[in-house]
Amino acid sequence: MLISDKQKKILTLLADGEFHSGTELAEIFGVSRSAICKQLKGLSELGLHHSAVSGKGYRLDKALELLTPSKINASLGEAHKALVSTLEIHDSLGSTNSYLVEHSRNNAASGFVCFAEHQTAGKGRRGRQWISPYGSNIYVSLLWRFQQGGIIGTAGLSLAIGVAVIRALKQHDINDVGLKWPNDIYSQGKKLGGILIEVSGEADGPCAAVIGLGLNLFLPEIQAQSITQAWTDLTNISGKKPLPRNLLAGAVLKHILAIVNGFETVGIKAYLDEWRSYDCLKGHLATLFVGQQQIEGIVAGIDDNGLLLIKKPDGTIQAFASGEVSFSAPIV
Amino acid sequence: MDIRKIKKLIEIIEESDIAELEIKEGEESIRISRYSAAPTQIAYAPAPALQAAAAVTTTPAEEKITGHVVKSPMVGTFYRSASPGTKVFVEIGQAVLAGDTLCIIEAMKILNQIEADKSGIVTQILVENAEPVEYGQPLFIIE
Repeated sequence: MLISDKQKKILTLLADGEFHSGTELAEIFGVSRSAICKQLKGLSELGLHHSAVSGKGYRLDKALELLTPSKINASLGEAHKALVSTLEIHDSLGSTNSYLVEHSRNNAASGFVCFAEHQTAGKGRRGRQWISPYGSNIYVSLLWRFQQGGIIGTAGLSLAIGVAVIRALKQHDINDVGLKWPNDIYSQGKKLGGILIEVSGEADGPCAAVIGLGLNLFLPEIQAQSITQAWTDLTNISGKKPLPRNLLAGAVLKHILAIVNGFETVGIKAYLDEWRSYDCLKGHLATLFVGQQQIEGIVAGIDDNGLLLIKKPDGTIQAFASGEVSFSAPIV
Repeated sequence: MDIRKIKKLIEIIEESDIAELEIKEGEESIRISRYSAAPTQIAYAPAPALQAAAAVTTTPAEEKITGHVVKSPMVGTFYRSASPGTKVFVEIGQAVLAGDTLCIIEAMKILNQIEADKSGIVTQILVENAEPVEYGQPLFIIE
């Protein structure tokens, strides 16, 4: 574990962003002031910077809203809570997806939800890292078992999960958001969140999907230095007003659960129109990288299976199931 | 319609670059599409990948294959390891058990672990890492 119990307790106290004196902290935890000082130094290493002011005490540079099961459950509501078999909140994990893939292999029940305050090896696509500093963003994974359809039946689930996240954001009045095929969450041309789904099982029998979401709420510049693409966070989009982190965490989970629960019955069809209304790639000049190939053209939306359509310079339109899209300026 | 006739039709489509075929026989009709659901109204140009897939199914080498063929259950990109730089799931000559992961096929950013549906020795790997694959394209031979 990355954070000791003592550090977690100190952090819970400091989360309010107010000053707490060294004497107060030392008394509460029954340790010396120098021991408190040492614990706080450890927190700085996690990216939780604080200031120490003589005569006032210690204060975190930014107040934290730590994840709390009761608050997430309240936001989830009874109907959706019933779909959750286990809800775990970890201080630190390698990756919430890897954790649930492991549990999935050990026959964990469908509806297993795992949040983490921090990830040491947050996963993006194909070995990329998802920057996951402590206590400020949402990192969540859900294990869901599909009984019929198998791997083939989950086709398009990735797009539907993108729709779920946009629904959750809109519920919280965050409207300036869209989807970049297949399911990156974007705002003003910058990446706000990513979804990674790992499926295992039979091609046409029972299968298990681990659905992971990373959503930037507040990403400190210093932590984001290694990100090679344009990024943003909800704090930027919403104009610095404090975001109810637990409410948002509950909302994204609620909308994801609602969609996975009915997906075997309705499939991608039910979400195509809504997905298209959030499409932020359509009409853009883009390059698709697939295998050794590079395909340039204008993005022509998605077909009825959720495949990306690209109109090539010769006027033909081709559908693609995979690949990395990089887009340049919109076509005027 | 006779199931064998349907199977034959699917094989014919697999060997061609036809995206969809509809046949009526009296009151019965059947429509076979390369994709799992109704196609769009757009006339797709034949993809290079499709031609490549067709070429694979007509090479003489494949006709000689005697072992069990593991085919791609979907259109996507084929990966031999969980992420770049990590160990491949299987090598030629390796013994696998039914249920072991052979590869990942990524489709619409879903990473699908493809499992062996038969135990045996992997004698051939028919696709290069990070290359696109088509529905039904042979991936591995297990003997």
